[in-house]
Amino acid sequence: MAPDVKPMKPEEILQIIHAQRGSAICVPTMTTSPHWRTIAPDDLSVTCVGFMGGASSLGLGLALAQPDRRVLVLDGDGSLLMQLGSLATVAGAAPRNLVHFLFKNGVYHTSGAQGIPGGLTVDFVAMAKGAGYRTARSIHDIEDFKHRLPELLKAEGPVFVELHTGLSEQTPMTAGGGVPFPRQVTDLRAKLLRPRARA
Amino acid sequence: MPESIPATLIIDTLKDTFREARAALAAEVAEPPKHGHLGWILSVPDTHQKTVLAALDKEEQIRVLTCATEDEATTIAAGLHIGGEPCVLMIQHAGLYASVNTLRGVAMDGQIPLFYMIGLLSREKDKQPRESRHSMVRYCEPLLDTFGVPHARLEGPDDVHLIPEYYRLSLARKGPAAVLVGLETI
Repeated sequence: MAPDVKPMKPEEILQIIHAQRGSAICVPTMTTSPHWRTIAPDDLSVTCVGFMGGASSLGLGLALAQPDRRVLVLDGDGSLLMQLGSLATVAGAAPRNLVHFLFKNGVYHTSGAQGIPGGLTVDFVAMAKGAGYRTARSIHDIEDFKHRLPELLKAEGPVFVELHTGLSEQTPMTAGGGVPFPRQVTDLRAKLLRPRARA
Repeated sequence: MPESIPATLIIDTLKDTFREARAALAAEVAEPPKHGHLGWILSVPDTHQKTVLAALDKEEQIRVLTCATEDEATTIAAGLHIGGEPCVLMIQHAGLYASVNTLRGVAMDGQIPLFYMIGLLSREKDKQPRESRHSMVRYCEPLLDTFGVPHARLEGPDDVHLIPEYYRLSLARKGPAAVLVGLETI
C-alpha cells in the first residue's frame, strides 16, 4: 500500500457501490456482509455464508444465468485465497457482466484478524490479469474509487478491482443474525424469475 | 455384470433431462431465462466419463464449463440454479471427497437442488464398489449415505433412466442427489 494513503473504510465503499449499482445482483461475503444487509436489506443480493471462498463462483453462476444483469461480487482476500483457482475459472468463462471487487485488508478479520498468507504483499491484480480477467486494477483512495466506479460498472467483464481497505466495523461473528442462506436463495430466485401466481 | 454406457446415450438423456427441466420452469415462473442452449455441464474432468466429455465438445446444445475445483463447480451450480438454469455436475469420486464442505454448505444447508454424476474411477468390474480394494471407490457410497445424499448406480445402458429420475429427485427434495457411473463410458 502507498504509505501516505489511509486505507479506505469498507462501509464507505459499500455505500458508494450500493448508490450506483442499479439493478445489479450483489454477492457479499464475510466482512462485507453485515453492513451490506443494513444498507440493502431487500434487494437482489445473496450472501456467500457457510462456504467461505465461494463468492466468486456463486457470482459466476449468476452472471452466466442472467447475462443481461450486472453481477457484483464483494469478496475478501482471505476468502479468495481459499478458492484462488476461481480466478482462472471466471476468466475462462469470460462473463461480460461480472465485476469482482476484492476488499483487501490482509487478515482473516472474522476469525480474529490473523494475517492471511503473504499478508498485504499478495498481488491479486497480477493474479487476476494473469488468469485472464479483461480488466484488473488496484484502488487505494476513496475519491479515486468514487471517480472510477461508474466506468468499472459499465466495462466489459470480467473486471477485477482490488480495494485497499481497513477493517470493517462488524464481522459475521460480531453482527450475527441476517436472513438464513436458503431463504436468501429462494427470495432472490423469486425476484429474478417471478413465480406465476397460483389459481 | 456391469456394462459400459455409450457417451451418446448419456448425452441424449441429458438433453431430455434439460428439456424437461426448462419446460417445468417455464410452467412455474413468468420470466424463465431465454438461452440458445439447453443446460450446463459443470465439469472437473473425470477419467471415467472422458468419452462423454469428448463428445460434449462437439455438442452445441449443452454448454460445458470446466472448473478448477469441485468446490467451484458446486457453487457455480448454485448460482445457475438461482438464475433459473438447469445444470449437472460431472466429477469423480475423489472430487466429491475434496468438496464435501461445499456440498454441505451449499447444497444441503442451502437447500439447493444439485445433481451429480460421479465417476467411480478404478472400480473393479467384478466387485461391488463397497468391496473394492481401492479406498476411493470403496468410500464413495458410504460418504453419500453419511451425508444423506440419495444415490443410484449406472451399471449399464438400461440404467440411464436414473439420470432424469435423480435430477427430479434433487429438485423435489431441494438438495443434492447423485448417480454413480459404475464403469468407464465408451
